[in-house]
Amino acid sequence: MGCFNSTVRKPAPGHENPIVLASQTAFSVSEVEALFELFKSISSSVIDDGLINKEEFQLALFKNRKKENLFANRIFDLFDVKQRGLIDFGDFVKALNVFHPNAPQEDKISFCFKLYDMDGTGFIERQEVKQMLIALLCESELKLADDTIETILDKTFLEADVDQDGKIDKSEWHNFVSQNPSLLKIMTLPYLRDITTTFPSFVFNSEVEEIAT
Amino acid sequence: MILFRNGNKTKTLNAFHIISLLEGFNLSSLFEEKKREEKEEIRFATTKSPETMVAKLESVATEMKFMVDKTGDESSLRMKRNKIGRKGRLGIMAEIWAVAPSLVVVEVKKSSGDTLEYNRFCSKQLRPALKDIVWTSGYESTPAGVVGCIN
Repeated sequence: MGCFNSTVRKPAPGHENPIVLASQTAFSVSEVEALFELFKSISSSVIDDGLINKEEFQLALFKNRKKENLFANRIFDLFDVKQRGLIDFGDFVKALNVFHPNAPQEDKISFCFKLYDMDGTGFIERQEVKQMLIALLCESELKLADDTIETILDKTFLEADVDQDGKIDKSEWHNFVSQNPSLLKIMTLPYLRDITTTFPSFVFNSEVEEIAT
Repeated sequence: MILFRNGNKTKTLNAFHIISLLEGFNLSSLFEEKKREEKEEIRFATTKSPETMVAKLESVATEMKFMVDKTGDESSLRMKRNKIGRKGRLGIMAEIWAVAPSLVVVEVKKSSGDTLEYNRFCSKQLRPALKDIVWTSGYESTPAGVVGCIN
């Protein structure tokens, strides 16, 4: 591994040892430190407790603490591994790790499946996909006729739902994604690879402007 | 149904493509300090056919003194401004997606050059030029002359 100087740091609350986290993820120690700066800023934005709650997550994502959306909720749940309604630094780093360009495809495929399996049944049901589509179109201020949506769903499930049982299971998802690799594009954040150079100093405004809705 | 064949026809999207295209979740904003409005992508829907969109974008580009590069596949368009700007020539990429037979989504991104110049180009030149073909929700039939750019 080579020599590096490790300064002895007193761990702050919610701050797992960066060396440990670096060894468990694709991030280097300095990248984990950079992520900690980001984490600190997000986790202190509403309640300064070293943990990210739902509101803080929404604030960071939408610049609006009150804004909710289907996906943000689901992603929060997936980050919140211990299901406490709170994300600690370890959760944060390990979840972001899945989005690292070097993370294993398997992990990305798995995370993506869980994301779309909104109710956590272990299957992506047609109704779930319909719900997601409608929510998104609505948000983008696009409206499609119901039978257009049904046609899109028909086509999708014809391709993905091999045993035609109306839902996509893990292995069907696997095959489907292998044939449509662009579907995994959302599972990679390219700049995670060089986070310390892309974000040399995480200077965040403490007064983040909130958009009143 | 329009099928995607290499370089032949416009890409058709399945439900999951649409979901990712509409960026239901985009974690990159966790890392961005600026608000979403400053995002450099323009995305809009139109009821015009993909071929019409390509032709329209080409004519807009030529009018605005861009050189169009169509050597890629037929559902994307690259263009570069002839004039050299602050950070080299402003380059734009437009991708055209067939969401449904009657609905096409166009995504415009900056591919090179200065962001401020790009923003200025979008607001002063591109958006006005596309005003009559942008389609907004709530109108199930043909577009009225309403501007509805979704970002």
